[in-house]
Amino acid sequence: MAAFLEDVKIIENICLGSRYYLLKVKSEKIIKEIKAGQFCMIKPLDNALILRRPISIHNIDKENGVLEFYYETVGKGTKELSTLKAGDIINIQGPLGEGFSINIKDKKIAIIGGGMGIAPLKELIKQVNKENKVVFIAGGRDKYAFEILKNINFKNTIVVSDDGSIGEKKNTVEKLKEILEKENINMIFTCGPHIMMEKVAEVAHKNNIYCEVSLEERMGCGTGACMGCSIETTKGMKKVCKDGPVFNSKEVIK
Amino acid sequence: MNKLKTNFCGIDMKNPIMTASGTFGWGKEYSDYFDPNVLGAIVLKGLTLEPRKGNPGTRIAETPSGMLNSIGLENPGFEHFKNITMKELEEDISTNLIVNLNGKTIEEYVELTEKIDKIDRIAGIELNISCPNVKDGGMAFGANPKIAAEVTRKVREVTKKPLIVKLSPNVTDISYIAKLVEDNGADAIAIINTLLGMAIDIEKKKPVLGNIFGGFSGPAVKPVALRIVYQVYKAVNIPILGMGGISSTKDAIEFMMAGASAVSLGTSIFTNPLLPVEVIEGLNKYCKEEKLKNISDIVGILHK
Ligand SMILES: Cc1cc2nc3c(=O)[nH]c(=O)nc-3n(C[C@H](O)[C@H](O)[C@H](O)COP(=O)(O)OP(=O)(O)OC[C@H]3O[C@@H](n4cnc5c(N)ncnc54)[C@H](O)[C@@H]3O)c2cc1C
Ligand SMILES: Cc1cc2nc3c(=O)[nH]c(=O)nc-3n(C[C@H](O)[C@H](O)[C@H](O)COP(=O)(O)O)c2cc1C
Ligand code: FES
Repeated sequence: MAAFLEDVKIIENICLGSRYYLLKVKSEKIIKEIKAGQFCMIKPLDNALILRRPISIHNIDKENGVLEFYYETVGKGTKELSTLKAGDIINIQGPLGEGFSINIKDKKIAIIGGGMGIAPLKELIKQVNKENKVVFIAGGRDKYAFEILKNINFKNTIVVSDDGSIGEKKNTVEKLKEILEKENINMIFTCGPHIMMEKVAEVAHKNNIYCEVSLEERMGCGTGACMGCSIETTKGMKKVCKDGPVFNSKEVIK
Repeated sequence: MNKLKTNFCGIDMKNPIMTASGTFGWGKEYSDYFDPNVLGAIVLKGLTLEPRKGNPGTRIAETPSGMLNSIGLENPGFEHFKNITMKELEEDISTNLIVNLNGKTIEEYVELTEKIDKIDRIAGIELNISCPNVKDGGMAFGANPKIAAEVTRKVREVTKKPLIVKLSPNVTDISYIAKLVEDNGADAIAIINTLLGMAIDIEKKKPVLGNIFGGFSGPAVKPVALRIVYQVYKAVNIPILGMGGISSTKDAIEFMMAGASAVSLGTSIFTNPLLPVEVIEGLNKYCKEEKLKNISDIVGILHK
């Protein structure tokens, strides 16, 4: 699969409340190849920021040639990104990495997103919901973290929060366990804080359910050249940017 | 006529542009963006006799106009390199391949050199005695003049391939070490490897890197690298492979004027994967504009 460098024009870059943003860009090349779970490296405009920022693909709108990214401002790069306006041009590199397994049929799937881990799940839900039955469990830190659910617009979504200020007062893992008691889930896909994915994978392994997790590591190159994002797996050292970010949970979580 | 044609310490190259070890993987990772065969040479990721897992994460931190890495020479080891990596490279790569060679002991450096020497397709050896991210060998060897001389001499005895010795900037008198290395059989000097640095996460109250210290590279280090190339040029008679923060054609020209016969592009490829192509085109244009017969006309011009 080919990857490209592309100058893309920003169509929209809107704040969804607090530190959460939805970015839409017009793409010709990357859009043709990118798949759910893959990511792009966005180049900051400030030349002092020499590393590109890895951001997952949130939604692929092929009809309009628009790629959507969902991001949170945490440091210099994402703060700069949040100041950009419609019409501004940014350079993105992608598609990068291996995404989720989307060629599946007639399965019952639980998709679990925690915090910014929700970012790559819209496209995933869209892809696998056509020929499978999907339940989406979304957890977040504050009420703004759930604004994105309007954009995802998926009816079978269960919202949980630690303090019960929104949705059910539970964490995502408790909710998953509850669902497993009633339903026969065949597959689990998850993205979120590492500790959450570990717990999800534990539940999956205990119940013999196939599970994929999307990992995060600091990246230098995003192409497998620098070994900056390497992790130990049951199959030896692997690169999150090239062999992942999505892995079979059995490979990376004991 | 190709005005960029260069013979670097016995290696015939179509241009003096290489990739810095550790920033261009095993030669093919950037093939989606440009044909790696346009490069004068590809310097491969640091190789050791046995496989190495490298250091624990986090391995990368960004700093203003620079970065820190503590990869720790992760690589699959010589056997895998010979049987798998080389086969894959031979399919697609026609340009010069240079191995970046590392050892924990002098014996290991020698043993690995003997093995590399038997692979015809390898055009040259970059002897890394300057990696700041490993406990044994690495920078400790490069920083000790006696050991730097000894490892160069012993490796020289077992290979006829061009031998480029890569030195550390983390020493007081690099010219002295460069001269010693020349006297002990090096065909060229590569400078600079990364500067030793660190970053701190004040929220977690911890160093950012798993290994605490890391190698500092990128545009921020350019003035230091340039100064070192200038100094070492005065001290030695063998050619210099210059690197450290090169991010444009102009930077490459500066390094050559200071004394580098060839340059390696590193960290800045992460920022701009098309940089190697841009610098090659830029140098061609520069030769035309300045009416040079060959790009080598500017090498060391500052000293004339
Ligand atoms: C494969 C992948 C997909 C991602 N997808 C998304 C997404 O869709 N939405 C989103 O909001 N965030 C996502 N992230 C996290 C995002 O990359 C970081 O939040 C972002 O790089 C921070 O940059 P900064 O300049 O604002 O922060 P700074 O702290 O100023 O960045 C300094 C350096 O650290 C790196 N860095 C900092 N935090 C992270 C992190 N958590 N992961 C990796 N590198 C980091 C930066 O890229 C930069 O090189 C993803 C990370 C990875 C690895
Ligand atoms: C991620 C990374 C990995 C590196 N690995 C090696 C290595 O294996 N061997 C080596 O000799 N130098 C290694 N280096 C150093 C570079 O080859 C180069 O000397 C240094 O980065 C300065 O050039 P730059 O500023 O253009 O990157 C590495 C540098 C980086 C950034
Ligand atoms: S970020 Fe360079 S190998 Fe993954």
